[in-house]
Amino acid sequence: MTVLEAADVHKRFGGVVALAGANLELAAGEVHVLIGANGCGKSTLCKIITGSVFADRGTIRLDGRAMRFRTPSEAARAGVGVFYQELSLIPQLTVAENLFLRRPPRSRAGLVDRRRLRREASRALERFAGAIGDIGPDHLVADLSADQRQVVEILKVLVDEPRVILFDEPTAALDNRQVEVFFDLVDALRREGRSIIFISHRMDEVFRIGDRVTVFRNGESVATMHIADTDKDEVVEKMLGTRIEAVERRRDAPKAADVAMRAEAIGGTHFDDVSFDLRRGEILGLGGLHGQGQSSLLRALFGADNAFSGSVAVGGEVYRPRGPRDAIRAGVAYVSGDRGRDGVFPVRPVFENFVAALLTRRRRARLDRRALSAEVGAVGDRLKLRAASLDALISELSGGNQQKVVIGRWLVNEPRILLLDDPTKGIDLNTKSDLYRILDELCMEGVSVVFYSSEERELLANADRIAVFNGGRVVDLLEGERVSELNLYRAAFAAEGH
Amino acid sequence: MSAARERTRSGPRWYRHSLVLTLAIIVVLFAAGETLSPGFAAPGQVIYLLVTASLLGFVAAGQNLVILGGREGIDLSVGGMISLGALIAGNVMDASNAAILPALLATLAGTFALGAVNGLGVTFLRIPPLVMTLGMYGVIQGLLIVITRGVPSGRAAPMLSAFVNEPLVLGIPGILFAWAAFAAFVIWMLRSTAFGLRIYAIGANENAAALSGVAIRRTRVLLFALSGMCAGLTGFLVLGFSGNVFIGVGDQYMLPSIIAVVIGGTSLAGGIGGHHGTVAGAIVLVLLQSILTTLNIDPSGRAMIFGGTLLLLMFFYGRQQRLRV
Ligand SMILES: Nc1ncnc2c1ncn2[C@@H]1O[C@H](COP(=O)(O)OP(=O)(O)O)[C@@H](O)[C@H]1O
Ligand SMILES: [Mg+2]
Repeated sequence: MTVLEAADVHKRFGGVVALAGANLELAAGEVHVLIGANGCGKSTLCKIITGSVFADRGTIRLDGRAMRFRTPSEAARAGVGVFYQELSLIPQLTVAENLFLRRPPRSRAGLVDRRRLRREASRALERFAGAIGDIGPDHLVADLSADQRQVVEILKVLVDEPRVILFDEPTAALDNRQVEVFFDLVDALRREGRSIIFISHRMDEVFRIGDRVTVFRNGESVATMHIADTDKDEVVEKMLGTRIEAVERRRDAPKAADVAMRAEAIGGTHFDDVSFDLRRGEILGLGGLHGQGQSSLLRALFGADNAFSGSVAVGGEVYRPRGPRDAIRAGVAYVSGDRGRDGVFPVRPVFENFVAALLTRRRRARLDRRALSAEVGAVGDRLKLRAASLDALISELSGGNQQKVVIGRWLVNEPRILLLDDPTKGIDLNTKSDLYRILDELCMEGVSVVFYSSEERELLANADRIAVFNGGRVVDLLEGERVSELNLYRAAFAAEGH
Repeated sequence: MSAARERTRSGPRWYRHSLVLTLAIIVVLFAAGETLSPGFAAPGQVIYLLVTASLLGFVAAGQNLVILGGREGIDLSVGGMISLGALIAGNVMDASNAAILPALLATLAGTFALGAVNGLGVTFLRIPPLVMTLGMYGVIQGLLIVITRGVPSGRAAPMLSAFVNEPLVLGIPGILFAWAAFAAFVIWMLRSTAFGLRIYAIGANENAAALSGVAIRRTRVLLFALSGMCAGLTGFLVLGFSGNVFIGVGDQYMLPSIIAVVIGGTSLAGGIGGHHGTVAGAIVLVLLQSILTTLNIDPSGRAMIFGGTLLLLMFFYGRQQRLRV
């Protein structure tokens, strides 16, 4: 019997097509897995079902009746609970307060009954007893670690006792033992007759817990299969579809073999035991699913967050930046795809956005505006920047042009090593191709690039080699003939040894 | 892009526009004053008003820097810093012309150091600027009482008094030349030095600034130190203005220093604003106060008109947002 059904759901965000005909049938008492590459629309479908995003077209039916929830709490009242990929806990509140945020137990006077709140929270936490340290109902969420927060988030969904539960990558931050507890919990929920949608990128988890699997590709649901009747290879094949034609390579691997940056067994938050040689004039791609440690590695290499363990050498010398300034001095640059947070100075003119990375290098205090304007103008021309003037506020430019300015900031600085952290996120195709062209030119000039992208095809087209990340480790290094979409997916979705 | 280079060379348009706007407001206020009370815009009176504005202008310059630096930057200790500056200056010089320079240096050094303490508290102990500087104000106030035991002490040297109050050239006292030079320097610093652009960078997006290699903490500590020093300088000049010091002499400058900055077009969120606006803001504020004083109305009515006019000005400036880079 079908409990929940999504039929022909479409959704666009501006120019981005997130869903283009998604279908899903959730049977009573089953665990139904959704799987697919980054950005194929799984999260968007969850949000549409639970009323935090509205579909452009399509129907959602609950128990055969068409439904259109306007908010997640409306969905919750109808018995549909959801664990969103983006965590939603309020750090300033306690674990108990967060668990019962939507519906705190009330006393007869209508006030929050704190005794019952604590008691029920303790009971909820019991479910993960032993796997989450000694956190209790009164701990502030701000003090919890990432995995503990994720557990609280899971429990928060369950306190409403929903009949239908959507879990969007609930295990991403959990350790082995917590995953086991979670799966026991899911088994129990299934025995109680509840229906569960489960999104995960870990192939072993899919086969461990799922009854059926629906594969998504580019916003479409392409196949639904019984887990018992399929295997990992078939699932990967369906994910890729017939696209296994080779992506056209844009460049030949560089001839030069000297090493610009050598990392030996470095580790940090979210990555571990990473080693690589970055050759002069090459683009080393970082592949794999979202959030497998690629960004953390790049930020650590730039001295932006916490330090790393292990050793790194740049140009043969020990490299251990204590902050971005050390990195800049060593000729390392970093461009983040999150330009709102890490890149632009929104209320300042284009000119100032361009020269921001020069403010420490110039020994002399005075900035020669005229000379700098000429320099900046030349870089702008090279990037094909479209701006009314250098005095225009950067927030008046299009997103792609803003990102060009952020990239230009580093070109003005003439780096030897360029770290790119998903730099084309949310920008238009023209800007992307301008960026690829610039990367080629830079490599010709001997600059070395480490390029993380959440778009596989972008990596395949540009990178000379690809280090595939999975669970914070490099699980495969694709070189030469082995640089292919199939190998990239195989490594990215491989069972992870955690 | 070539058009862009053109524009940079001749100075951007907004700069000239908002300057014209502000000058217009100042002229209108003078005209209003003259209409309401003939003699208001007489040369001697104008100069007196400008001297008053200059005292506010020096302290507001530092306030402006702290606010531009963002992260809810504000300096509520300037009142105490001014009083302390005046006290140090008065006691070191003690009416002797020869001791003016040492007195100036001692004042600047002392208030710079205390301002730096503000900055250290804000950056390293993560105390909100509002709380940190208010606490500093309390500490300084207590210190002043302990040192002076409530009795005014220290006297201005005759040359300092003359510098502030007597005409130097063309009937204009030295302090106004000093203020003009100071303002020109600060405008240049904000627009054309790496330090100036660093201030805007940390105010506009601290995270991006850090990733661009800007030393966030060092810059912010320096901003608070400079604000302290500007207030100390004001105290030094206030000593020359009034001849001796009483403990609360600086208090009257605290709120006006913030108002001058804000009506000068600086955003309290940081990263937006310039120094020319603050200069104009100081003049406008002093003019307004003085017009209201010449009107014969009771203090409560005066306060209401003052507040209402400020809101009107803010509204007016708000509509010019595009000009307030
Ligand atoms: N709020 C949004 N605004 C713009 N684009 C979005 C938004 N949410 C998702 N997208 C885009 O829609 C596509 C599908 O995203 P998502 O559903 O999160 O994929 P998945 O969960 O399968 O990785 C992606 O290209 C993503 O960039
Ligand atoms: Mg997702």
